[in-house]
Formats: sequence, C-alpha cells, structure tokens
Amino acid sequence: MTRTHRRRIRPGRLVASVIAILVALAWVFPVYWMLNSSLLPNTVLTSTTPRFWPWGGSLDNFAAVFAEGTFWPALGMSLAITLTTVAFCLLFAFLAALAISRFRFRGRASFVLAVLFIQMLPAEGLFIAQYKLMSSLNLLNSVVGVSILYIAAVVPFTIWMLRGFVAGVPMELEEAAMVDGLSRTQAFFRITFPLLAPGLVASGVYAFLQAWNEFTVALVILQKEEYRTLPLWLRGFVQASASRATDWGQVMAASTLVAVPVIIFFLIVQGRLTSGLVAGAVKG
Amino acid sequence: MKKMLSVVALATASALALGGCASGTTSSPSASAAQNITLWLAGGDTPDTLRDYLKTTYNAKTGGTLTIEEQSWGDLVTKLTTALPDANNTPDVVEVGNTQSPTFTNVGAFSDISDMYSELGGDKLLPSFVEVGKVDGKNYTLPYYFGSRYMFYRKDIWKAAGVEVPTTLDAFNAAVKTITEKNPKKIKDFSGFFLGGQDWRNGISWIFANGGDLATVDNGTWTSTLSSENSVKGLTQLQELYQSASHAPKTMTDQSVYLYLNDSDVLTGSDNSKTKTSLAAATVMAPGWAHWSIGDLAKKDGKEVREWNDATFGVFALPGNDGKPAPVFAGGSNIGISAASKNQAGARELLKIIFSPEYQQMLGKNGLGPANSDYTSSLGDDQFAKALIESASNSRLTPAAPGWATVEASGKLEEFFQKVAEGGDVATLAKQYDDILTPMLNGK
Amino acid sequence: MTVLSPTRQQAVAPEPEPRHRRPSPAPYLLLVPTIAILLLALGYPLAWQFWTSAQKFGLAQQFGRPPQFVGMANYVQLFTDPQTWAVVGRSIAFCLVNAAITVVLGVLIALLMNAVGTLPRLTLQVAMLLAWAMPVIASMTVWIWLFDWHRGVINWLLTAAGLDFTNHNWLEQPLSFYFVATVIVVWMSVPFVAFSVYAGLTQISEEVMEAAALDGASPRQRFFAIVLPMIRPVLMIVALLQVIWDLRVFAQIKMLQDAGAPTASTDLLGTYIYRLGVGASDFGMASALSIFVLVLTVALSFFYVLHLMKEDA
Repeated sequence: MTRTHRRRIRPGRLVASVIAILVALAWVFPVYWMLNSSLLPNTVLTSTTPRFWPWGGSLDNFAAVFAEGTFWPALGMSLAITLTTVAFCLLFAFLAALAISRFRFRGRASFVLAVLFIQMLPAEGLFIAQYKLMSSLNLLNSVVGVSILYIAAVVPFTIWMLRGFVAGVPMELEEAAMVDGLSRTQAFFRITFPLLAPGLVASGVYAFLQAWNEFTVALVILQKEEYRTLPLWLRGFVQASASRATDWGQVMAASTLVAVPVIIFFLIVQGRLTSGLVAGAVKG
Repeated sequence: MKKMLSVVALATASALALGGCASGTTSSPSASAAQNITLWLAGGDTPDTLRDYLKTTYNAKTGGTLTIEEQSWGDLVTKLTTALPDANNTPDVVEVGNTQSPTFTNVGAFSDISDMYSELGGDKLLPSFVEVGKVDGKNYTLPYYFGSRYMFYRKDIWKAAGVEVPTTLDAFNAAVKTITEKNPKKIKDFSGFFLGGQDWRNGISWIFANGGDLATVDNGTWTSTLSSENSVKGLTQLQELYQSASHAPKTMTDQSVYLYLNDSDVLTGSDNSKTKTSLAAATVMAPGWAHWSIGDLAKKDGKEVREWNDATFGVFALPGNDGKPAPVFAGGSNIGISAASKNQAGARELLKIIFSPEYQQMLGKNGLGPANSDYTSSLGDDQFAKALIESASNSRLTPAAPGWATVEASGKLEEFFQKVAEGGDVATLAKQYDDILTPMLNGK
Repeated sequence: MTVLSPTRQQAVAPEPEPRHRRPSPAPYLLLVPTIAILLLALGYPLAWQFWTSAQKFGLAQQFGRPPQFVGMANYVQLFTDPQTWAVVGRSIAFCLVNAAITVVLGVLIALLMNAVGTLPRLTLQVAMLLAWAMPVIASMTVWIWLFDWHRGVINWLLTAAGLDFTNHNWLEQPLSFYFVATVIVVWMSVPFVAFSVYAGLTQISEEVMEAAALDGASPRQRFFAIVLPMIRPVLMIVALLQVIWDLRVFAQIKMLQDAGAPTASTDLLGTYIYRLGVGASDFGMASALSIFVLVLTVALSFFYVLHLMKEDA
C-alpha cells in the first residue's frame, strides 16, 4: 500500500506542483490569519488596513488569556470528555462492525439502516429532551453525561467506517494463526488488530474532532462554569460582555489555544491517518 | 424511558415536598439554616469587586455560600429555558435582560416578591423596569441596573461642517444630514450619523420621540402599533436619516459602532491621496462604556490603546423636541428568584444585599445605573455620567408583553428596520409587520 | 425502516455465502453496547420529539403547564406556511450545491496530491490538516472578519487588485450571503473528502496505470476508466455524508446571520428550527420541523442508501 517512487519527469509535473502549493496557501490562509492576529494588539486589528505580518507583535494576548486562569480547567474537561468519547466510541463501533461484517443475521439490514438514519436527525430541536434526560439521570455537569450523548452521536458514523476495515481482514488469517497454536485472543491481537489500526485511527480522528468542537449539547448539559469545555470557554471570549468591547486579539489567541491540541493529536496520528482514512470503505 | 422519567419526577417531587416541610423554607424565611445558593449573572457587566462583595456579605449574613455563575447573553434564553423549571438544578437568583423579563415572569418562572417590594426600595426603584417584572399587580423581578445610550461625536468634524451640538431632535436630524452632505474630510461613504439598518434598539428612539409606541395593551391584549400615526411619523424621520445621513450597512445591528469614530490608519482615497484615518462616521449612538474604546491611538506600557481626547471627542444625550431628552431605549437588566428554587430564604437574603445602599452605590461607582434612584449620584459627575443620567431620565423600555422575548428572538424587528432603511414604504411596511407582531406579543 | 426489512433486502441483493450457518447469539451480543448507548442517549429525546410535535408546547408548558394534544395541527401549520417551503427549497439547493462543489474540489485536490512530488504533497496535506483542525467557532470568527464590510481583508485585496470593493457588504444580499457561506462550508469540508479520496487513490496499482498509459489511454480516459471505478465506493460514502451534513448546516449559518444579515431570507432548516424553538419558544413546531427534516433527508438519500446497501451485502 506504500507509494512507489516515481522517477519519470512529466511535463505537467511542475505546473501541478505550483498549483498544489497555491491551493495549500489558499487553504491555510485563515489559519495563518488567526495566528497572525493573535500576535497583534486590538488597535491594529480594528483598523481598515490589514497587517499581513505580525512584526512588532507580542505574546501579550496569550498572556492575557492565560491570566484569566480558566484555560487549564476547560482543557482538562475537554480532554476528559473527548478521550472518553473516542475510547468508548471505538470499542462499541468495533464490536458492532464485527457483528455486521462477520455475521449474517436477522435484523442486520435494519440495524445498518437505522444507524445510517440516526445521523440524519437534526440536533437543534433536541436540547430540552437531552437536558431532561440528563437531569433525571443526575448526570448534568458531568463528564459521563456529555460523553454518553457524544458517543451516541458519533458511533453510527464510526460503525460505517470500521465495517469496511473489519471485512477487509480475512477470517482465514486468524484461523491459520490458531492452527499454529495461538489462542483466539492472541490471534486477534497479533494478526487482526494491527491490520485494523489505520481504520481505528481514521475513526478516532473523526470522533475526536466531533467531540472537541461540539457546542450545543455542552452548553445545555454543562451549566456550571467550572465544567466548561473549550468551545464554551472560547465563546465566553467572543461574547465577552455587553458592556465591554470584544478584544479580538484575545479571541484569536484563545482560538489558537483551542486548535493546538487538535494539531498535536493530528501530528501524532498523521502517518496512519492518510493511509487509513476510509481505506476501509474502499474494501467495503 | 418516559415511564422511568415520570417515576424519577415523582420521586423528586416528593423529596421536594418533604424537604420543603422539613426546613420550612417557604413559610418562615428568617428561621432558615445557612443555605448555599447560586446566582446567575448575565455577561461580564458586574465587575469582580462587586461579585466578591456579594459573596462575602452573603456568607457573613447567613453563613451560607454564594456561588456566582456567569452566563453569556447570547445563550441565556437557552439555559433559562432548560434549568429554571428544574428544581434540582435551578439557579436560585437570576439576572435577566429587562426585555426578556416579561416572557419568563408570565410563565411563572419567578417567585412572587411583592411582600419585599417596599423593603427593597419600593417607589424609588426604576418604574419602567419594575413594570416589566410585574404580572397582575404582583412583583416577580426588580431592576438590577440600567444603562442608557447616548451620542458620541467628533467635535472636529462637526465644527468643520459648521454645525452646533443640537438642542432639539429636528436640529439633530438636520445637523447630521448637513455633515454627510458636506463630508469635510472627503471620505468615501462617510456618515454624519452612523446607524445600522437593523439597529432597532437605537432606531426606536425616533418612534418614542414622536409620541409613538411599539405596542399598547388593552384588557391584557397587546397590539403592535408601528402603524399608528406618531410611530409612522418617527419611522419616516428615521428613514430620512437612513437615506441621507447614514452609510452604515443596512444589515448592521448595534455592534461595535464606536470603531467607526476612531482615526487609525492610512487610507488611500480614490484619487490616490493618503489620509491618516479609517474614520467612517461623525456621530454614533452607543452605551456609555463605549468611551473606553474611543479616542486617539496612544502607547501605554508598550501597548497601543485608545485614549479619550476631549478636544476631538464629545458626548451628548439625544435631545427631544419638547425640551426634554429624547426617550431612548433603556438598556439594563432585572433580577428575580427562581420559583423552582429550594432556597427561597437564602435567595431573599441575597436580594436584600443587592438592594442595600452599599451595593447600589457600588453599582453606580462602576458606571452601572443603580436600580434605586436615591443612589444615582454615585455615578459621579463627569461628562459620561451626566450624559447617562440625562438620557436615562426620559428613557423607555420595550413593551412588557408576554411574547416580547419571542418578538426579539424572531428577528422580525431587525427585518422591519432593515426594510425601512432600504427605503420601503413606511406605512405599508408598518401595517404588514403589525400583523406579524401582534400575535407574537400575546404569546400565541 | 420496515420498507427495507431483511427479507426485502435479500430480494434486492443476493445474500452472500454466510460465514456462520447456524443462528448464533454472537452478533447480537456484539451489538448490545451500541444499541444500549443509542437507546439511552437517543431513545427518550426521540420519543419526546415525536410526542411534542403533536402538542402545543411552548415556554409555559416547559414551566409546568400541561400541554395540549393537537394531533397533526403543528404539521398542518408548518406545511401551509409558505416560509417553510422557501426554507426547504433554499436548504436543498444549498445542500446540493455545497455537497457537489465539496466533492469535486476534494477529488481534484486528491488527484493533485497523487500527482505531485513529496514536498508539495506534504505542504498540501499539512495545509488541509490545519484547516480541518480549526475549531468551528474560531474559523467562523476569522472568516467573518475576512469578509467584514469595512476592514475585511477580502475587500481590501479586491480593491488593491483594482476593483472597487471598499465598504462592500457581502452579507446584505441573500445570494451573496450564500456565496460566503458556501466558501466557508466548502473550505471546512474539503479536507475530509480530499484525504478520503487520496487514501483510495493510493490503492490503485501503479502498474495498471502505466499499462493503460502505454496502451495509449489519455489521462482523461484513464481517470474515467480506471480511477473513478476504483474510488467510487469512497465517493459514494463521502457524498452521502456531505449531503446529510450540508442539509442541516447550522453553526456556520447562525454565526454569519449574527454578524449582520437579513435573517428571514437567509434561514436554512437548521437555523429555522432554532428560530422556532429557542427563538420563538414554540417547541411543538420546532419538533415537527425536526421530524420533517429527518423524513426529508431519508427521502433525499433513499435511492442512494438502497444502492449502498446493495453493495454492502
């Protein structure tokens, strides 16, 4: 599956490279703009002539954001919820994917369809019911409560993604390993699991992004300030106050801080990401 | 699931009833043990020193703990809708926007505090705010603070255009039109008066100033009155301003208007001449705190900040045509006790602290108009305080209709004002939107 | 969902050789955690939504007044309101246009990744990853800024390029508003499509492509004869997901509207549900509309899903 190196020099190659770089620049510009703005003072940001380079800028905005003292608790909350969601989501989805790709059973098609249709329900009208549910279960303002709602929201898509990967690993490989004297569990972890890794990574990235960015459910379920997740925290900066002007430099610094953990996560998994992303669907 | 929920609800309800009996909170407020309560404040308007004061004073008086949670204005309605009816999780005392108050008081979200009305200030409390907290003559929410909008203007531009600070509304309308026509600095799209097309909160001042009204009530039934004779007169004046004095976008609301009053950077004109300005307006209407963001660019501790300069900038309250200031929209908020709260006694103690002379004066010193008129002087006597007090003296609130929050959330007012700004026929539009708004006002 | 019962499904697609012939409890056990969490998290909210859509349920009911059962009245009111159909029409158009642009651009960029050397490819991939990693609230703030009428970079650049875009308000006209929304939504969604398709492309064997080239197939012919069939399964899935996601797009539209736009003429289904629910406190109507959106999405994707199911079996 690794790319073979091409030595041939095609005439269009240079043009393609230039286009690729230009597209990359266009795509990264808003990200750059966020970083650039986070280093500039508010007075510069509110002028009509854009300043394209952060020369003369400072880390003052970041210092001011950290001085609020609310970033670390929010980061902790976001990490707890996101990691819980990713872990359980992958586990549940993997089991379900195993069921629908390795077995033919009564109700299988209905299950697959139900899983697909669940993703089509708009979430904007559900918040009252979600609140009542979590209140009755005594799970308001808790990592568990939000995670349950997130897992349910993300698991359907994850099943779709993993299904192809599981189907792609031939049963025969596992069985051969068992003939060689490995137990079923050993065979699974030595043979099947490594082959599933790219799929798990791709689904994990998806689940991570969904949980990390979610706003509405968190707003309704996490009512107390000390339980805020990063999107709620960031929103607090945007809507600083009715009686104070929003400090855009600080908003951009705060936005950068919210994006950094995602980028770190991406860097850790990136090698597997590109090879694994939806490769499962191809095999499906 | 439904069944399980009702079982839970039943259990909760009986626990509630038992709890109520045991501590006797509702029957004898003074006999209560120390209660730990939660206060929801909207936005960051209440400064930290005031929050600390509330916490320590509450603890000293009752022995209980006060927790303050800050909710952002944009999400307040969503959170009130879910949490207020939930006895186990409701905040005990809640700040709501004055215009949101009628909707929630009408559905019974707040406790009746009529018996405390006199003790908390009675007739001294801002009448228009008290009114929006009332249902059937009973008080449910009371004013927390007020802040009126007034005019910020560029003295240099006004002078260059040869116009004086107006003393009547007609003079104001004429002056800003003249400035726009003369455009002393020759800046493209320059506004004598910068008013966003959707900015109904500032725009309604012209309806009020001409004797018009947004809605009237008769026997408990509300009627939208945009098409009344006086309202149409005000709206026509406003349309004239939109067309001839303001080049603000027709889709703009009242956000960040102060930006357009500042000089900041080099701007290239159509003839390639460079002017050192991003100035777009000679006058804006904004809440008092905007003065922190208006001024000359200055370096302070190595940072670029705005510094107010009396030579260039000034303030005045929008004048009316009757010698009094024009009735502008009174911003601010109300405060009340959640009806579902199990800590009614503690919540009432907190209200007593909030309406105490000490706290009322602290509000004033921090630039928030105190609810109790006895302490208005605590705002100080600089030009900003004067303009605030003057404009507030005749300020008006939106109708205390049960459906007012619905009207605001529907975006219909923004839509209507935008259409007026774009030059549509005022009388026809007013009639059309009256028909849309009347059912909303009555909560239908 | 009964339409596609297992028996019907078998009729549509021949059942492949089952791996386990005798009915075994194993698959059901494996599904238990998923079904449990879906029931726990969605069971009550879904039931609530169905039930509320048949009630007059406003803020007063939320605060304890007993709701009134009105049967289909909310739906009738919804469907007789021309505004609803305007919103539905706009949403479908917006969804199809955005999904199409996203998928086409995503495929083109994936082809580009596949066609260039390591350095430009990595540059492109990193740029895509960074855009993908931006939190929605953060990227919306930046984009709204870029398009700001008075101090936006886009107006500044266009003006510098000789066009007079000084103080041009992009959000004032609905069409121009949707253009901005499309730019943002496409920008956010393309990385996912590009990476998915690129993953598919890397699996096409080099030899096949070279053989085809030697046989004199033009790049165009190679794309349609070899590449497209190979990446079709990926395309099917990402296109379906884009349609689902773009039909209920909410955050982007809501935040653009908050930045100053004519709300009534720019509402899409997501913001319309929000306006009925949170805005107007008419939770009965909001629920009815939510259920209609569910039905609409199912209808829009029905044949597509049928097709997917066939390939899946």
